[in-house]
Amino acid sequence: MPRIRVNLYASLRRYGGGSPTVEMDIAPGTTVGQLLDELRIPSGETRILFVNHRAAAPDHTLTGGERVAVFPAIGGG
Amino acid sequence: MSLIYRVNMTDLSVRAESPPAEYAERGGRALTSALLAAEVPPTCHPLAAENKLVIAPGILTGTGAPCSGRLSVGAKSPLTGGIKESNSGGMGALALSALGIQAVVLEGKPRDDTWYRLVVNADGLRIEPADGLAGLGNYDAVARLREEFGEKIVCLGIGPAGEMACAAASVAVTDIEGRPTRHAGRGGMGAVMGSKRVKAMVVDPTGARRPQPADPDRFKAGAKQFQASLNGHPLTSQTLPTYGTNILANVINEAGAYPTRNFRVGQFEGAEAISGERQHDVILKRGGKIEHACHRGCTIRCSRIYHDQNGQFVTKGPEYETIWAHGADCGIDDLDAIAQMDRMDDDLGLDTIEIGATLAVAMEAGVIPFGDAQAALGLLREVQRRTPLGRLVASGAAVLGKAYGVVRIPTVKGQAMPAYDPRAIKGIGVTYATSTMGADHTAGYAVTANVLGVGGRVDPLCPEGQVDLSRNLQIATAAVDAMGLCLFVAFAVLDDEHALPAICQMVSGVHGREFTGDDFLALGKATLAHERRFNAAAGFTAADDRLPGFFHQEPLPPHDAVFDVPDAELDQVFNFVR
Ligand code: SF4
Repeated sequence: MPRIRVNLYASLRRYGGGSPTVEMDIAPGTTVGQLLDELRIPSGETRILFVNHRAAAPDHTLTGGERVAVFPAIGGG
Repeated sequence: MSLIYRVNMTDLSVRAESPPAEYAERGGRALTSALLAAEVPPTCHPLAAENKLVIAPGILTGTGAPCSGRLSVGAKSPLTGGIKESNSGGMGALALSALGIQAVVLEGKPRDDTWYRLVVNADGLRIEPADGLAGLGNYDAVARLREEFGEKIVCLGIGPAGEMACAAASVAVTDIEGRPTRHAGRGGMGAVMGSKRVKAMVVDPTGARRPQPADPDRFKAGAKQFQASLNGHPLTSQTLPTYGTNILANVINEAGAYPTRNFRVGQFEGAEAISGERQHDVILKRGGKIEHACHRGCTIRCSRIYHDQNGQFVTKGPEYETIWAHGADCGIDDLDAIAQMDRMDDDLGLDTIEIGATLAVAMEAGVIPFGDAQAALGLLREVQRRTPLGRLVASGAAVLGKAYGVVRIPTVKGQAMPAYDPRAIKGIGVTYATSTMGADHTAGYAVTANVLGVGGRVDPLCPEGQVDLSRNLQIATAAVDAMGLCLFVAFAVLDDEHALPAICQMVSGVHGREFTGDDFLALGKATLAHERRFNAAAGFTAADDRLPGFFHQEPLPPHDAVFDVPDAELDQVFNFVR
């Protein structure tokens, strides 16, 4: 099964068992949204999703080898 | 608000005047820019007697409106050669507004080289010689003044950089704890204050009575709704208080827009080590503080207090821009070294963004190596010792880069870019290019829709839609800066339709007459129009509204993007100014 690296940030780190990065095996065709469900991250808590450094929607389909990044609402400056 | 103090540093006289009609309902940036446009010759030398330094709280400052204690400091900028409004937190704006002061205007300059201090209290404003203060860093100067005047005072002052009138000099403002950690950093306002030989302004609000809104019920209803909007947004109620501004580091790095080693690449391998998440853990472990407010009445509380390994206070924050400038931009991944540099910048009275960018340009030039934190601290000590190299550092990235023949200098109108690469976040590139302030992220923070998913979404890598995004944000920001509101309320304003009406209701309550959303936008546009016209008269043309050539020519990894918003579109940002 293809492997995916998921980076969790800010308050979402608690869904990675304390680790900022989670490596997961996924079935081909898995969407980012399904990945987040598997990690038990409520959809209301995520605001920014990246796949390979580009903004992605929850229905983005993964093929394996991607780098996924998940953030809650973030701001500052 | 009812008084404007005119402080004439040529003949050392003070005049208190009621604001003329055209300034009566203005505050913050709307006042500083209107006054400068009307009274300062645009072609004057920024350090000459003709320039004026205008210090103004916002329209809502001191009313009890949430997050409304921001201070605007304006002048013709020695860094950009254009008009400037530099915005600061800290207690300065609240203290001035408590005394019923709408603005303090420093005019003229003394004929000799005596240093002065201004003392402002319920009895008025007086000019005194600043015996023993000159030469001190901000921390020691504030300690002396608190010893003499007591702990209730608020200090505004300049450090050695401002005394030398270097173009990256800030005006320091003390925070709730009485430390000089908050700065009107951008654009060399400290140099203008120094040119007028004013080392410090002591504000003692004792005995002052807070100004009351004309229509208290209306004001209160607006403030209640506004607070509800701030409480309801996850950014202003959770992320910013918990992690502070530096929570941006990882997201901007993931977006491939975190300028690294003087804008060579868009990702820093050391990002995690200097991230907001790591900073949060380090602060808590060492007994520092998160959820800290830079001024009383801020309910967002994005500030922090940073301790060293022995649990001793080092500095506030540091903020995202500061950590990036001294960190990724210099290839440095050591949070403690960055905190030390922040402390030195605050003490010397330097703009942290400009200085970090200048250190990176010095690294580009080979003066010191990339990644060498000790060498970077050494360059700050050159400023302290007032050496020729120190003066170059304190004059900013453009000047130092020019002196060393550097081509890759990330400035617009002479001001260094903050922590977002304009090739990978093109909306902020439009703001950098066109802002009346020079490269300034706060002037139109397009990172919101480009990356953060706040206020809609616009693809950061496409040139389309960026000009409209930047224009709308620049207009709204100019109005927010007039209110004295912290720009971070904008996150709630962009996402919650009740927030802007709430602001308008508060202003209606303060003035006792209707202030609408249209009035809000008109105020922003009028302020920008003053600024654009001032800059045009100072000699700026469309050629000044451009990014340096390397942003068009050098593709930025990982997206290999260049800045490609067409010039003709950039020239449409201010299509509302005739
Ligand atoms: S949100 Fe942060 S910067 Fe803004 S006023 Fe509050 S503490 Fe200061």
